[in-house]
Amino acid sequence: MGYMALSTSIYELLWVEKYRPKTLDEIINQEEVVSRLKKFVETKNMPHLLFAGPAGTGKTTAAHALAHDLYGENYRQYMLELNASDERGINVIREKVKEFARSRTPPEIPFKIVLLDEADNMTADAQQALRRLMELYSVNTRFILIANYPSKIIDPIQSRCAFFRFQPLKKEDVVARLKYIAENEGVDYDYEALETIYEISEGDMRKAINILQAAAAIGKVTVDAVYKVVGMAKPKEVRQMLQLALKGDFNAARNLMRKLMIEYGLSGEDLIKQVHRVVMSNDFKVPEEARVLIADYVGEIHFRLVEGSDDDIQLSAFLAWLSMIGQRLGVEE
Amino acid sequence: MSLRRVKKGNIPWIIKYRPRTIEEVANQEEAKKRFLAWFKQWLEGKKPSKRGALLYGPPGVGKTSLVEAVARQYRFELLELNASDYRSAEAIRRTVGVAARKKPLWGRGIIILLDEIDGIAPREDSGGLRALLEIIPESENPIVMTANDPWKDQIRPLHQVSELIPFKSLSLTQVIAILQRICDLEGLECEREALRYIAEVERGDVRAAINDLQAIAEGYGRVTLTLARLLVRGREKKYEIFQTLNQIFYADKAWKARMAISNSQEDYETVIAWLNDNIPRKYEDPRDAYRAFDALSRATIMLNRAKFGGNWSLLNYVFTLAGPGVAFARKYSQISRQRYSYPDRIKMLARLREVRETRERLAQKIAEGVLSSRRLVKSEILPFLFIIFREVEDPSMAARLALGYNLDMKEVEFLAGPRAREILQAIEKIKRARREPRKPSSSRPEVEEKEAEKKGARRATRKRGRAKGSSTTLDSFFS
Repeated sequence: MGYMALSTSIYELLWVEKYRPKTLDEIINQEEVVSRLKKFVETKNMPHLLFAGPAGTGKTTAAHALAHDLYGENYRQYMLELNASDERGINVIREKVKEFARSRTPPEIPFKIVLLDEADNMTADAQQALRRLMELYSVNTRFILIANYPSKIIDPIQSRCAFFRFQPLKKEDVVARLKYIAENEGVDYDYEALETIYEISEGDMRKAINILQAAAAIGKVTVDAVYKVVGMAKPKEVRQMLQLALKGDFNAARNLMRKLMIEYGLSGEDLIKQVHRVVMSNDFKVPEEARVLIADYVGEIHFRLVEGSDDDIQLSAFLAWLSMIGQRLGVEE
Repeated sequence: MSLRRVKKGNIPWIIKYRPRTIEEVANQEEAKKRFLAWFKQWLEGKKPSKRGALLYGPPGVGKTSLVEAVARQYRFELLELNASDYRSAEAIRRTVGVAARKKPLWGRGIIILLDEIDGIAPREDSGGLRALLEIIPESENPIVMTANDPWKDQIRPLHQVSELIPFKSLSLTQVIAILQRICDLEGLECEREALRYIAEVERGDVRAAINDLQAIAEGYGRVTLTLARLLVRGREKKYEIFQTLNQIFYADKAWKARMAISNSQEDYETVIAWLNDNIPRKYEDPRDAYRAFDALSRATIMLNRAKFGGNWSLLNYVFTLAGPGVAFARKYSQISRQRYSYPDRIKMLARLREVRETRERLAQKIAEGVLSSRRLVKSEILPFLFIIFREVEDPSMAARLALGYNLDMKEVEFLAGPRAREILQAIEKIKRARREPRKPSSSRPEVEEKEAEKKGARRATRKRGRAKGSSTTLDSFFS
């Protein structure tokens, strides 16, 4: 039986959204973190917080759940959600915080929350400015900063925040959650497949649930289906492009490069990152020592792209280099 | 003239908007008066002293159109020949000679039109010209010739047997007015500045200007100054870019290759774009191609530093890297005679921008729901959506997700690629099915289902409120 068996609503959401815990009680792992956060809810007070840990371990979810438990169902009006990698610079952030600090305060709780996700993507200078903001508005706002790598957060900020470390999720927690979702959605599955999903996603719940949903869309969730989905998540065109270049067919490789950028709207940086992934993946067949050689030049091109020079020319230079190297490596196919 | 690419199945606008009547031939009052005065003598049965008429002037100002309009209006048969038809004396006698002797006693008269007469080659076709000089004074029918330059040696003898009728080149304002009229008739969004740019570049050549207009319009649906700048190249300019490229690819000294780019009439960014697309044509050996691309790549980095660092003296290195850097990359390749190709990249840019906007909008819609940054949505979530929209046979999950996130058509097309039609149909089907009363055999409790729907609907409303950029939502599209 396929996925359509039980769910008959005409709307569907991504399951990462649909099954996101809403309250602290619903968060079934990160016990230590959750129990400390619950204290803040009880006392209706908290310092600035810094949540750190790998992707998909529930940092953002915990921040929302905390705000939910503090302010109730309509918590989002008392929380300013910012994302360092989407906001255009610290000045925009400053303006938004300034305006937010002036807005209505919640009943009963003496502060509002500024949630700053991916804070470790900010430059050190921007973080200094952020620190001043945190001081300036500390009377009626609390900041929750979220980061994958706490070492990238400057010390003066770290010292002003209560630190919360999120652990990679445990196997039984992830599998149990996947099982719950699968059953609720009426998905036919092999238990083994759920374990495979855990292994592939390495404790990243978001990735695990995404894999489950894509596999379920295909049909029964089996180990094979899971691998199939994971394989499909890497566009095969990137690999094809590299193989064409290595064979010396520069023109075909470049046409494919342009097609990829058009079809998926990729920027040069998006594409070069994927190239690196493919170069380091097992299903890309080159001599092992060539991977490092290639990745080294991928890095050089990535650097040039970061400097902001023309995408098409940089990637063309890369593909031309690859054509030359392919000749030297004697790659044929 | 640049973009001659005219879509198959569409009428070229130069034909569609060709003047039909004498009045419609714009801005050539003097020429019209003189031509008609000459032609009326034929109408009245008196043969003018000069039985030929030589219409001359720059290309695309209406010479041929006027002759055609006159023939149509006075119900004359038009025998149209062009350069390739009258090369030899024999061919001239067979075609023009025969037609010239036909006596139009009853039935319609004939106008013999020899287009582009200055295309006759001075030596090879000199027999043809002599034959013409014999035929014209004896002709029973009007013989009209057109030429850009009537003073060319090879056609000068024609002056003795032909009435010379000059055509003015059109002013900028006149060309712009003609382009504007076409834009209006086509319901096309055209920036005035773009029309001015096209008119300037084509220097009074209406035919070339209309071709440019059509090429941009068909490629991009609107005509902006940016597009015109990128896509329209005048006759001379086109020659200049080829010259610059030749000077680079065939340079024997570094300074020459450098000067080719620093002194080019083209701006250096254009030259770089052309080099980018033409390196593989000129350097077939990958080792050479790599060296050339690497130099070009460094040139663009320098250019970027010059632009954004504000230190324009760095431009020196841009010229050196892009000129000699590309020129002396050749070590193993034979000199290639492959023709230069027009940069594809430039044509891609507009499309690319549009796709990226769609991707950004889509990422924003999803980011709000999954509480992530757009960056993270693009790298971690879109790959799975691509699977669901493109790879999964059953389109229902994709369709329901599209409804859940209230995606618009462009967003669905972006996610589904070649399968967009199928997914859109599935969406329509689901919506239709929902309007019909549902069978009671649903296996899920009714309450829960309603709950879920309410949630979805609430989201849809919220999204619609927020997603500013999107015009057609699926809801409005299908209902």
